[in-house]
Parts: sequence; structure tokens; C-alpha cells
Amino acid sequence: METFINPKSLFHLLLLPCLLLYSSIAYNSSPVEAAMHTNNWAVLVCTSRFWFNYRHMANTLSLYRTVKRLGIPDERIILMLADDMACNTRNKYPAQVFNNENHRLNLYGDNVEVDYRGYEVTVENFLRVLTGRHETAVPRSKRLLSDEGSHILLYMTGHGGDEFLKFQDSEELQSHDLADAVKQMKEKHRFKELLIMVDTCQAATLFNQLQSPGVLAIGSSMKGENSYSHHLDSDVGVSVVDRFTYYTLAFFERLNIYDNASLSSLFSSYNPSLLMSTTYYRKDLYKRRLEEVPVTNFFGSVMETIHTDAAYKALSRRNSGRFEDEMSLDQSVHHIKRRMLIKVNDGDEIHDINPEGEEGASKCPWSTFRNKFQKAENVDSLLNYGLVAMIPLLVISTWLVQ
Amino acid sequence: MAETKEKSLSDEKPKPRVRPIVRLGIFLISHSFLVSVVCCTAGVLALFLLPVLAKNTYISENALMPGSASPMLSNQHVSDGNRLVKDLTNPNSKSSETGIESHKIIAQYMLDLGAEVSFHKFHPQMNQFHPLHFFSSPVSGKIQENYSCSSYGINTVGIIRAPRGDGKEAIVLVTPYNALKSGFGEALSLGIAYSVFSLLTQVTWLAKDIIWLVADSQYGEYAAVAAWLREYQSPKFSSLSTPNAEMCPDVNNLFELKGHSISGSKFSNSFRRAGTMAAALVLKVRDQNEQFEDTISIYAEASNGQMPNLDLINVVNYLAVHRQGLRVNVEKLWPLLNSSWLKSLGEIFESLAKVAKSLYPKWKFGIPATEYVEGTATLASSLYYQALGVPTGPHGAFRDYQVDAITLEISPKFSLDKVWRNDILLRGGRLIEGVIRSVNNLLEKFHQSFFLYLLTSPSKFVSVGVYMIAFALLIAPLPMVAASLYVDANSSSNYSKGDSSTPSAITDTDEHGIAIRSWRWLNSAKLVFIVHLWGAIVSLLPYFISQIPDCSPTTSFMIWVLLSILSLLTSNSVLASPLACAKATQEKEWALVKSVTISSVFIGLGLMSVINFATAEIGALLMVPMCLLARPLKLDVRAGTLRSFCRLICNLVLGHIAFPPAAFFLLKGMLDGFGNANVGDFWMWVESLWAWNSATYLFIGMVQLPCWVLCVSILFHTC
Repeated sequence: METFINPKSLFHLLLLPCLLLYSSIAYNSSPVEAAMHTNNWAVLVCTSRFWFNYRHMANTLSLYRTVKRLGIPDERIILMLADDMACNTRNKYPAQVFNNENHRLNLYGDNVEVDYRGYEVTVENFLRVLTGRHETAVPRSKRLLSDEGSHILLYMTGHGGDEFLKFQDSEELQSHDLADAVKQMKEKHRFKELLIMVDTCQAATLFNQLQSPGVLAIGSSMKGENSYSHHLDSDVGVSVVDRFTYYTLAFFERLNIYDNASLSSLFSSYNPSLLMSTTYYRKDLYKRRLEEVPVTNFFGSVMETIHTDAAYKALSRRNSGRFEDEMSLDQSVHHIKRRMLIKVNDGDEIHDINPEGEEGASKCPWSTFRNKFQKAENVDSLLNYGLVAMIPLLVISTWLVQ
Repeated sequence: MAETKEKSLSDEKPKPRVRPIVRLGIFLISHSFLVSVVCCTAGVLALFLLPVLAKNTYISENALMPGSASPMLSNQHVSDGNRLVKDLTNPNSKSSETGIESHKIIAQYMLDLGAEVSFHKFHPQMNQFHPLHFFSSPVSGKIQENYSCSSYGINTVGIIRAPRGDGKEAIVLVTPYNALKSGFGEALSLGIAYSVFSLLTQVTWLAKDIIWLVADSQYGEYAAVAAWLREYQSPKFSSLSTPNAEMCPDVNNLFELKGHSISGSKFSNSFRRAGTMAAALVLKVRDQNEQFEDTISIYAEASNGQMPNLDLINVVNYLAVHRQGLRVNVEKLWPLLNSSWLKSLGEIFESLAKVAKSLYPKWKFGIPATEYVEGTATLASSLYYQALGVPTGPHGAFRDYQVDAITLEISPKFSLDKVWRNDILLRGGRLIEGVIRSVNNLLEKFHQSFFLYLLTSPSKFVSVGVYMIAFALLIAPLPMVAASLYVDANSSSNYSKGDSSTPSAITDTDEHGIAIRSWRWLNSAKLVFIVHLWGAIVSLLPYFISQIPDCSPTTSFMIWVLLSILSLLTSNSVLASPLACAKATQEKEWALVKSVTISSVFIGLGLMSVINFATAEIGALLMVPMCLLARPLKLDVRAGTLRSFCRLICNLVLGHIAFPPAAFFLLKGMLDGFGNANVGDFWMWVESLWAWNSATYLFIGMVQLPCWVLCVSILFHTC
């Protein structure tokens, strides 16, 4: 008996890791391939110091306000400001920052959370934020805690040149550094899609070294061109906004979270004669068609909805590339607004979702398994499941033989 | 000569490889005559081309942003300023003999605005010649014994603290004011400063403190500002000096009165300070004016040709022209404006530029002839005032502490109606406000733009990189000619010896003879050194002469000349016999003397160009032709050709012009006319030079005068 039992148990022991391995392959392979857009992050950087660079801070704060308005919560915005214009002694309006000479909108009002300020804004810290390699003491609020389902907006403004961007008055970020950081992010599954928006002189040159897939880049000017400020506030005594950012903001001011404007409509909204420079966007690394990507995919927190009939229901995935609704991920700020939104869109959603709802109606886990099985879109997983199914057969057959 | 020597050498030995740079040097030295003619002509031509090569000024420092903020000075502030002007010109305030009343009025006005006010009393320090600390900074803490209570000045100082600033930096506004006999212009300048001051107490954008100094100009504007700056920068810690002034009853009276009338206010008896000075503006309003429009003159030259950063001038110029519609002037040498030869030169340049443009359309360097003449006049005055080394206004005191400062003199088209007065108060005030706001934006010291430049108009400048070329071309032939003369003298005496001696004797004695001859230049060097030593003695003499009481400038000058000649003769007889050519064998002695003289001049000019470029440039214009042409008159007379006759004439003329007093009188005559020239003027001029510690004085005494003496000694060489 012992001689029989031993090989058997040995066999079982051998079988177990194999099973685990298979299962792990089966589960892992699908999320990487088909990670869904689940959250939005924004990294907004103003890299220049000094009072006469007021406009760069105003640029960044305006964009901060816009993305916040369009639904990215504060804890998912990393705001880096290299200098404090609001409290600069030369500021005629203490603790206020304006991006327009009409002074209607104070960008530095309540609820501005600056994560990196003053001399904290360095190339090193910027790269640490992107790659997530922080020292242990750095609080969570200063980290970019994105994952493979994140859409990240990276906005940078300051003084740049051919393949570099000046940080503070002493350092510079080179296009190689940026490309390397993005590559590391990609390898560490820190983003699904990344939009880099740069408003500097010769901004296009900063994207030259980018290689990672899923990256879309737009810059305010081509190589050899300058990016100009939009207008001077003669009351404050400085230029308050740059042209590229000004027209970007003008585009977004017309939008709210429900709007369906696409990235291509944003990109085509720039008029070179108004900008006095040529905007450049690099989309060869980006898979989706720009006409089908809503701007709120990056500038807001609007993503595909996962419909559930009831609570704790298994996930069902939608194939359509369109978006109908947004999933509210933050509950703190826009809680009430979101709830209203969901109600409003409910009717719309129900009739739209019907055909798929019939299919995935049953609640038992097996049905999801079957569901995936039926889709058969993933051959690898099918094969894996098949192999796993064969194992019990093998076990039974060996047992029968004995 | 060098070439022939080279050839003879190469014939004997296998030809050694001579490096190209050495070959080039030998080539230049052997053609030194041609080279020196070409270089000197090019140098003078380059100097005249400078107005054409001048670039437009631009604001180099990003932080300044002049004119980006709209002026906030309103009619309210102007009427405040007007009130002060009225109070000051009111005959009641002038009743007091010491002018203390008007100081009180100004202090009261400042206090009403909420500024910190203090009086600074000072004893005017007469500028005196101190040979031991010539280049040292103004002496601090030095107490002069014989102060009298009657001679003191009172500066009124008001300080506004920047409400949110760190108090580390300050901007200074200076208005010279003579309480005893103030013109309307001075009162008006106070009015302008007050209107700006009253605005600045209200604004929120100040990052630097504002200091308003009302400098008591009864002992001169410069002295008052310099005294205040001395106190500000180097505080006295000795308790000896203060009681001196405190003992005077009048001053105590002033302070007591103040203390009583405004107790608990921001008035203080002690000296008040703010941070380091970022910039200083001296504001003046001229009394009489015959201009047709409101103009503003900028004076920038400080001691030893130091200039404030060009950005400061640019900011003022930009704001005055483009914001306030004022015409901006910089100093010009007016006689040059009407000179016809300059005009024709300008026309030549203009037509040349046209030809060049027709050949190649991208060449655009020509400027109209009238503009050229104006540019040259401005450039000449810029050179002249820098070369003089005497500050052109109270701003010079600031430059001694490395603070950028300029004097602005507003000359309004004069009429006495109230509308006009308000207008000039408004525009002047807005200009000052704009400049202060612009400087307020600065983050660091002025450093972006040029410090070494010459202006050819308020908006055009020649930078150091361009104007150095003219100077370099001018002095480039000096070392070559010196080398050529040295080689020449050595080799020619070599040949003459060779001819006289028998061929057999050469082999043995030649080595020794050459060794001795090659050191013969030491003899000439000794002579040159003695003459330079004499130059140093001559430049020290005025110190002793000035000790003689009751001496008119003319007699002082005469004494100086006599002593100089005497000392030259004694040093000559005691130390050497340079003028007498003792050994007839050394017939080329003068060539060696000339060679060493030229070398010393080259060194002197090179050193001076570092200290004060303009002095070196003008000195080079005078001395280089003289040095290069100098040749014993006897030789020329003996030769009797046309060429030697021309050289003789040139030598005589240059020998006269290059004599410092002669050059001075010539220049003065050209500028003011020869009618009122006086021998004592030169003494006065020299006195002003040493009083202002001008390096030009040293240059004249220790480079130019010895050089002239040596050249004259060469001219009268007896060989």
C-alpha cells in the first residue's frame, strides 16, 4: 500500500503548483491586456521661479482649476509650483492670482492644494513623482498612485529650449529624462494612457525621445519657435497667461463634464495665427483615434461605466468604445452632483444596455465563467481553461487504472 | 634687417624649422613702419566708425519689465506735491537764516504720510589731496578737529518700509535742496519726489524699502550725498564725533522742537537705515530752460569713468520716451555739432553704406549724416567725461559703493501757470514711479547689461567689445616698433664695429662684445626709469604746493612748473646724464631710448585701459603718433629731403600738442574759445582731478608727462 500511496501523494503534490500556475496565468493575462480605464490623474507642473514668470504659475493654476471642475479630485492631482506668486511682495493683490486682466477669477482661492512648492520642485522630485520611487517618508498625498487603469494628464509649463525644460533657475529636464521616466512608468504599469501637454518655447522637441505606447503628446510650439504670452495685466504689471494655455482654457470653458468634445476637436481648435506658434501633437504612440477620445478622458474624470443590475453583481464588460456615463470614484467633493448625474442618465442607460443585460443575467459565478468562455476572444485563456479541465480527467483516469 | 640676419644665419647652418608664429612676428617686426601706419590709421578710423557701429539699447534684464504696469500716480498725489511746493516757496518759510524751517516742513510732510523720518547732520568734508590713499574708498570715521557750529548741513531722510518686504533692499531717491537760496526748480523737484513718495506709502507692491533723501546742497550736492552715504555704509562707533555736532545749539533746538510737536510718531534722532541699495535716482529740475519741449537729461558718469549698468539708463529712457513723451538727452560736445568736417565724414560714410547696400542688400550699417554728427558729438562727450574721471553729479557718490545711480535733470518748457506745473509734476512723478516699480521688480543687483560702454545717443551704445578694437589697433604697433628699433640699434652698431675692427679680432672679442652690447638697453632703461620717477615726484608736488596759504592758481602753477624743472635737472645731474650723449660711439643710443620709451608707454597705456578706458584712448591718440614719429631733429635737418622735412614738422607739432598743459589749453580753446584761457585754469583743472581721486591725474603725471619728456629728449638728441 505504502508504495502505492506515496507516488500518488507525490503526484498530487506535483499537481498543485501546476494548477496554481495555470490559474495564475489564466487570471493575469487578461487584466494586463484589457485593463480598463478606471481612474484619472493629473500632474501639473510650473517649473519657473521669479515674479516675472507670474504667467507660468497662472497657467498651471488655471489648468488645475479646469481639471478639478471637470471632475478630477484633489487627491489625484499633483500640483507642483516652483514659486509663490500669490505671496510675492510685488503682487499688488496679496494672496490672489489671476489669469486675466479682468480679475474676475481668483485662481488662488480656497481649496488649492499645492503638493510641491518652491524649491521642492526639482527635476529629481518630478521624476520621482512620475516613476513612483519615493523615500518612505513622503506622504501619500505627494505621490502619483496611479495603476494600469489610469489616464494621466501631465501638464508642464516654464521656459524651455531644444529638447529641454528649465526647472527653477538651475536645472533642466531633458527629453531623454522625460522619455526614460515615461518608459519606467509603462513598465511599472503606472498608466494606461498618458497625455503630455507642454507650454514652453520649442515644446515639440521635448517629445522627440518618447517611445512608450499609449502616450499622446501636445506641445505649444515647434522647434525654433517661441511660445508667447497672451496679454499683460497692466494693473499687476506682468503678463498673466500664455497664449497656448489661454486658448486651451478658452476651449474648456465652453465644456462641462457631460460634453462629448473629442481630443481632435481640442487639437484643431488651436489657431497658429492667434498662438503665434504652431502646435504640435505626436500621436504615433497612441492607438485610439483622436476623434473617438473625449477630452474628459484626460482633463476630467469621465470614463466608461460598468453597469450593474444590482449591488455585488459580477462584472460585465462593455465592448463599445463610446462612453455614456461616468463612474464616480470620489465621494467627497462632487458627491451630490454625481448622484444627480447618475439619476439623470439612468433611463438612457437602461435601454442602451438591454441587449447585453439579457446575456449576463444569471448571478452564479459559473455564468461569468461561461460568459468569458463564450466570448472566446482570448485564445490563450481558452487554452488555459482547457488544460485545467483536463487535469481532473487525468487524475480520474490514473485512479481508475489502479 | 631682421630678415637679412635670418638669411645670413640660414646660409651657414642647415635651416632650422621656424614656427609660423615666430615667422609672422619677424615679418611684422621687419615691416614695422608699414604695420604702424596701417594700424594707426585703422585705429583712428575705427574710432570715427564707432557711431556707425553703435547698437540700439535693449533691456537685458527680464525682471525689470519697465512700463508693464500702468502708472498709479493720480491727480490727488500731484496736488499733494503742489501743496509742498507752495509751502516751500512761501516767503514765510524762508525767513529763517539757517533754512531750518523748510527742513521742518519737509519732515512734517513726510511724517504725515507715515514715513520714518530722521535728520542727518554732517560737516562738509572738503575734498583734499591725500597722496597715500589715492584709490582707497572715502575715509570713514575720520574726525576733523576744527568743526564750527556754523558749517553743518542737514539732510532730511524719509523711509518707507515695504509692507510685505523683507527689508533687505532699498531704492534711494535723492533731491538736492538748498534751503537758503532755493530756486523754483529745486522746490519743484521736491514736489515731484513728494508726490511719488505719497503714492508709495499707499501701494501694496513694494518689495524694497524706499529712501527719500533731501540732500542739503548748500555745501555742494555731492558732498551732502557723500556724507550721508558714508554714514549709511560705514557707521561710526566712536562717541567722539557726535557731541561735536550736538553741541551746536541750533541743531539741538531743531530736534527738540520736532520731539515736542510730534511725540510718539516715527521721528527719530538716530540715523535710520534700510537695506542694501539696489539703485539710486537723483532728481533735479532745472530753473531756466529755453527748450521747446520738456526734456530730461541723464548724467551717468561716476568717478574714474565708471558707469552705472546700462539697464538703468535703458529703463529711464524707455519710460521717458515711450510712456511719458519726454525727450531724453545725454551730454553732447556742442561745438562738434557744427563742425563741417564731421558732417562731410558722415556723408562719406552714408554714401559708402548706400554703395554697400546696392551691392548686397543685406548690408545695412549706414546712418544718416546728421545722425552721425550727433552720435559723434555724444560719443566724444561720453569719452571726455569718462576720461576726466570726475563724477558728473551726486550720483557719483553712489558708484563708490557699487550702487547703480544716475542723475535725472528735468528741464521743462518754462511757464508759470498752474496747469503746466501740474503737468510736469504728473509726468515727472509717473516717470519716477515707473522706474521705481521697475527696479522694485529686480531680484538681484543690476548685472545683466553692460557696465563698460559709451553712449552715442540715449538709445544707442557702443559696447566694450567694439570700442576696444580701436584702442587695440592704435597701440598694436608699439611693441613691434620697439622690437624693430631694438634689433635695428643692435645690428647696426654691430656692423659699424665690424667694419672698423680688423677681421681677425672679431672671432675672440665678438662673443664678449655682443654680450655687452645686448645689455646696452639697460642704460636707456635706467634713463626711462629715472624720468618716470621724476614723473611720480611731479605728481606729488601739488600736495605740498597746496599747503602754501593764499596762493592764486596762476602762482601755484608757476611754482609747480619751476619745481618740476628744477627736480628734473637735479635728478638728471645726480642720477644720470641722459640728455648729453656722452659716448659718441653709441650713435644709435636714441633708438634704444625710443625703444624703451615705447615699451613703457605701451605698458602704461595697457594698464590705464583697464582702469579707465577713455583716458587710455585719448592718451593713446596723443602719445602713439608722437612716440612712433620721434627722431632726432638733427638727423632730419641733416637729411634735408622732403620726407624728413615733413617728419620734422610733424614732430614739432606733436611735441607741442602732447604736452599735457598744451593739450588741455587746446581742448579748452576748442570747446570754450581761446579768449578767456588762463594759465591758472590748468592748475584748477588738475586740482579738481586729484580732489576727485581721478586716475587720469596719475596717468598724466606718471605716463604721459615722462613720455613727453623722453620724446622731447629724443628730438633734441645731439648725435
